[in-house]
Amino acid sequence: MQRIRWTAAALLSGWLALIGASSALAEAAPVKLNTTADHAKFKELQKQFNSGPEVTKACLSCHTEAAGQIHRTKHWTWEFLNPDNQQRLGKKNVMNNFCISISQNYPFCTGCHIGYGWKDKNFDFTSEVNVDCLACHDTTGTYKKPPGLAGNPVVGKPLEMPPGSGKFINPVDLAKVAQKVGRTSRDTCGACHFFGGGGDGVKHGDMDSSLAAPDAELDIHMDAAGLDFTCSTCHKTSSHDVPGSRYKPTATEKHAAHIRGKEKQGNPATCQACHGNTPHKSQVLLRQVRMNTHAEKIACQTCHIPAFARGGVPTKLSWDWSTAGKLDANGKQFTIKDKHGHATYASHKGDFILGEKVKPEYRWFNGDIKYTLLGDKVEKTDMPTPINRIGGSPTDGRSMIWPMKVMHGVQPFDPVNKTLVMPHTAGAGGFWKELNWESAIADGMRNMGAPFSGKVDFIKTEMYWPITHMVAPKDKVVTCAECHAADSRLKGIDGVYMPGYSKFGWLERVGWLVALFAFVGVLIHGGARIVLSLKKAG
Amino acid sequence: MKLRITLPILTAVMLSASVAQAYEPDWKRGRVYYRSVCTSCHVASPVGQINPSGKTKAEWTAYLDADKHDKGKDSVKQYVSKAYRASIKSGNKAAAKFADVPDQELLGDIKSFLLRSAKDGESPASCS
Repeated sequence: MQRIRWTAAALLSGWLALIGASSALAEAAPVKLNTTADHAKFKELQKQFNSGPEVTKACLSCHTEAAGQIHRTKHWTWEFLNPDNQQRLGKKNVMNNFCISISQNYPFCTGCHIGYGWKDKNFDFTSEVNVDCLACHDTTGTYKKPPGLAGNPVVGKPLEMPPGSGKFINPVDLAKVAQKVGRTSRDTCGACHFFGGGGDGVKHGDMDSSLAAPDAELDIHMDAAGLDFTCSTCHKTSSHDVPGSRYKPTATEKHAAHIRGKEKQGNPATCQACHGNTPHKSQVLLRQVRMNTHAEKIACQTCHIPAFARGGVPTKLSWDWSTAGKLDANGKQFTIKDKHGHATYASHKGDFILGEKVKPEYRWFNGDIKYTLLGDKVEKTDMPTPINRIGGSPTDGRSMIWPMKVMHGVQPFDPVNKTLVMPHTAGAGGFWKELNWESAIADGMRNMGAPFSGKVDFIKTEMYWPITHMVAPKDKVVTCAECHAADSRLKGIDGVYMPGYSKFGWLERVGWLVALFAFVGVLIHGGARIVLSLKKAG
Repeated sequence: MKLRITLPILTAVMLSASVAQAYEPDWKRGRVYYRSVCTSCHVASPVGQINPSGKTKAEWTAYLDADKHDKGKDSVKQYVSKAYRASIKSGNKAAAKFADVPDQELLGDIKSFLLRSAKDGESPASCS
């Protein structure tokens, strides 16, 4: 009896199990479609992590080659040797006219390094466990590396930042982040690249937090409700080495569009890599041909990005360090903000000019860039000193007309040695606290082993940023009349004849004369035929 | 004997567990829906933009649990429902893109976005 009861119970549960199974089939068992490996299921990641490197160790136990791949990239070395002119570039070496340079500011700048612990120039670049996998592969949006911690996230206890402010940064749940790793996204790339230059949208102008989930109007490719491109859709990466860098941009792309099965040539991040060199299609053949002819000399970006900083986030257009150091009536540092709450003056940084929906400036550009590096001689004149000189001309056969953000600066330099300088700005002893240029520059230059006379003056500088993001929908591109008119966007661009703008007296006179002769000819010929036919009839 | 009993029961329990596996909300999808659908009405005055960072996590949770939109004139759920999405999808790309997402999932996505973007969330966010 007992036995029968048990058997019945067993049968019943078996039957229930079957029902369960069939309904599971009907509803399709939940399965992740965006990955083949659910990292939450890996034992290596089901534990408490007390630091970034502990997570990396776990990652590397399966992804054995990843750290070695990272070590080869600019993202890790912050260094790039330009093969054209042998200039040693990269964030480690260059200066700009924003926060100037990383020398003696490591723990702050390296908040954006994809490593842990780059706190001074003795950082070990061969370390595998100090590679930060999560910075790029976090999907939770909770992994943050605040400035000042040399690229480490906050772990353990909440951290008061800045000290004494009463504002706390909560620790990151490293296990949760590690279990949910995935592909890179606009959010992970943007965590650094949207905030370059010390704040949202500050540096690039065509990259800011509005691109995290943009609409079509802001970027037709990245439109979150549309094509939804991530950064890596264009910056198509292999072996962790992300292509498409501004240290060596591709200004002209002669290769055809990339096609599967064909050997890939060139930079995958250009417009032409997908669209080819004759991208325009129209029902009207003449229009199609005319547009494609434009594409021979004009970069796609020139017409298709009518303005940058279009997403509601302003970008800095000018930074004047020479006015830094003023104090208020109480002897304290102060900030002046515009009506949107963005700083236009700060005691520790000087004056800013911000802009939204900024029309780019246009230049012939062939991709060559030469930086003014530490030690290069500079002269103080009325003309701004170029932080980076861009190459290009209408006749070199490699140039196109490109849109540029031109960043204007006034920054400290050494008037005796005639060089730009790298001041120590952030943290203890830095200019932002002490407001003392001499000691700040002496410290920064000592760290680089560079000479400093002890004298400080200020010099006007400019820096070129080719514009390539924030591609507008096709009905919002630059219209014909914006260039082909007296007040042309391309004002000052030489080497092209632009009907409506260019004034070549003799050429236009010849043209009008030809038209006039043709018209007179038509009148005479037509008149003669009418007269003759009337005569015949009469 | 024992095995004969426990095995099927265990199987049943395991299967039902896998069926009922909790949906993992996608805050990014919530972000797109909130910004494209909710904000598209809320930009117009007199309502004005409603920034996620304008409320705390507790306030957002209470708001979503109460499910009262426009002081109870209708429900919040209604604006996330498939029916609503179908009604606006010709003019709203996000509604079109997420037309077939189950209501509960989308609601979960939006909640997840709002909680992380709340005043006291991991990453306080505005509408844009």
